[in-house]
Amino acid sequence: MSAGKKKTKGPKVAARKRAAQGVSLTDALAEAAWSEADIALAQALADFDEIETAQKKGARKDAFERLGQALSRASRKRGLSRLGDLDDEVEFDAEAHDLNAAVAKTPKSVRIQARGVTRGGEVLIKPRVTPADKKRS
Amino acid sequence: MSDWTLCIDFGTAFSKAAVAPAGAWSRFDPATIRPLMLSTEGQNAFLLDSAVFVDEDRVLFGRAALNEADAQADSKRAALRSFKTLLSVSDLDRALNTNAPLTIDPHRVFQMRDLIVLYLAYLLASVDRAIAADAALAQGARFSRRYAAPAWRSGDSAGMHDVIVRLFGEAEAFRAAIGKRILSPDGLSLRTISDALPKATEQAEALEMGLIYEATAAAAYTSVGLDGAGSHMIVVDMGAGTTDIAALARLGPRTIELPEARVTLKQAGDFIDRIIANRVLETAKWAKRDAERSELWSVLMSQMADIKEAIMADGRATLRNQGRSITLALKDVEKDVDFRDFQKSLREAYDHALAVVRDDARARGRSEVQAIAVGGGAATPFIQDLIRRKMESTRPRVIPRPATPDWAHAREFRGNLAPVFPQLAIAIGGALAPDSMLAVRSGFSRPANDRSGTQAELD
Repeated sequence: MSAGKKKTKGPKVAARKRAAQGVSLTDALAEAAWSEADIALAQALADFDEIETAQKKGARKDAFERLGQALSRASRKRGLSRLGDLDDEVEFDAEAHDLNAAVAKTPKSVRIQARGVTRGGEVLIKPRVTPADKKRS
Repeated sequence: MSDWTLCIDFGTAFSKAAVAPAGAWSRFDPATIRPLMLSTEGQNAFLLDSAVFVDEDRVLFGRAALNEADAQADSKRAALRSFKTLLSVSDLDRALNTNAPLTIDPHRVFQMRDLIVLYLAYLLASVDRAIAADAALAQGARFSRRYAAPAWRSGDSAGMHDVIVRLFGEAEAFRAAIGKRILSPDGLSLRTISDALPKATEQAEALEMGLIYEATAAAAYTSVGLDGAGSHMIVVDMGAGTTDIAALARLGPRTIELPEARVTLKQAGDFIDRIIANRVLETAKWAKRDAERSELWSVLMSQMADIKEAIMADGRATLRNQGRSITLALKDVEKDVDFRDFQKSLREAYDHALAVVRDDARARGRSEVQAIAVGGGAATPFIQDLIRRKMESTRPRVIPRPATPDWAHAREFRGNLAPVFPQLAIAIGGALAPDSMLAVRSGFSRPANDRSGTQAELD
C-alpha cells in the first residue's frame, strides 16, 4: 500500500471498507453492542483512578459511587442482570450459590454477600453467599 | 413470491431496517433474522442518522448532515430531523407543502416534502447498499417491503398510508436517477437536485409497501415462536415525546387494533428529563447565577440518557459538575408533583386500555392478555410495575412479557443482539410479522382498525 493511501485510512474509511467487504452480522452486532459499554468501562477506569488519588474521604466516596454507576451502566449495555438481593437470607443451594466460607457442615440458610450475574437465562456468576448465622463479610 | 420481508423503521433520531425470511412467523429461527447495516459511520452500523442538512451549495445526509449542522450551529443553522413527527400530523398534505424554515433551508427552495423525499431516497439507497453487502441477501433475493409507523392519530390510516407510499415512490424514482452518488459523504449538489428531483417526482409511482403499526411489530417480536401465544395484547410505548397505549387482538388470521383502548399521553421521556433536570437545579444551591444554572442545565441535558437510566435502574445517579458531585435519587423524582400526576394519568390510561382488551378477550373466550412495554422507557420501574401489577379478577390473566424477548439471547448471536435489540426491535418485529398483522398490505389499503367483515364470535 502506498504512503498516500495510508494517509486516508481513518475510522470512516475503515467503516466503509467493512461494509463493502460484507463484515459478518455477528461481528457488526458485537461492535454495536460493545460501543456504549466501552464508553462506560472507560469511565469506570477514570473513576477508579480518582478513588486512588482522592485526598478526602468525601471525594473518595463520590468516586466510588460513580465507579459503581459506570460499571452498572456497562453491564446493562451488555445485557447483564443481577441475580438475588444483597443481605437476603435464603435456603442454601449448592448448585445455585457460591459458598464464600470454609465450613465443616453445609449451612441450611445463607446470606447473599454479592449478587449473581445473568445474561438471558444463563447464569454467568452465581450469587456469593456466607452462612446466615456467621454474618461474615 | 418474495424470499424475504424487509421492514423499515424511520425513527425520530435513527432509521433502522431488518429482513426476515418469508414465512419466518410460522417457521421461526432466530438465526435467520438479519438487521441491516445501514450506516458506514460510527460503531453502530445498524443506526442511520435521520437527518438532512441544506448547506451553501449542497445537501448532506445522515451523520455528515449532523456534523455540518453542529459546525454551523452558531449561525443559527440546523439539520431537519424528526421526520416521524412531521409524518404523523393530522393535516399531512399541508405540512408537506410548507416551506422549510430558514434555519433548515436558507435558500428557501425546498418544501418539507422535498427534504423528506431526499432523505427517503438516501435511506432506500442505504438499504440497497446494506443488502448488497450481506452475503445471505445479495444473490438476487426478492423482497416484499413494509414500513413501521405509530397508529395515526387522525384515524385515517389508509389516507396517510397513500401519502407515505407516494413519498417513498418519489424517493425511489429520485434514487434511481441519481444512483450511488446520494451515498457520498459530500452529499448532492443543489444543482443535481434541482435537475433531477422535479422529473423524478413527475414520473414516480407509489411504491409497493405495507404498513405495520409499531405496537403490532412489538406484538410480533414478543409472541413469535411462543407456543400458544395469546390472542390479545396491551402495549405501553414510552418514547421521547409521547406515551402511547394500544391494545391488539388476533381474530382468526387478522390482527386488529382495538381503537377504543388507544390512549396517547403527552408526557414521556422528555418530560421526565425536565423533571430530573429541575430537581438537580433545586439541589445545586451553589448554582445561583443564571450563567451557572444554564451551564449546569446544558451538562445535565447532554448526559441525561445516562443519568435517567442510572436513576431508574439503580435508584440514584451521581454526576459531576465543576468539581462537585451531585446525587439524585429516584425517591426525589417521585416526590415531584408533575411526575406523580403523570404516573396517575398513566395508571388510569393503562387501566382503561386493559379493561377494554380484557373485555374483548373475555367475550371471545380467551384466557390470557399479554402485556409488554416498548420504547426508550420500557425498562423504567414504574412502567414495569404497571404491566406486572396483580389484577383483582384472575381471568383473563395478564402475562407480562420481557422488553427483550428470550430468543434475542440465542447462542447464535453470542450475546450481542440483546444489548442492541431495543433499538432494532420495531424493524425486526415488523419483518417477522405475517401479512395478516399488517395495518395496510401493499397493493391495497385497509386500515387496521377497520373491523368490517370480522364476525364478533368465539375464535
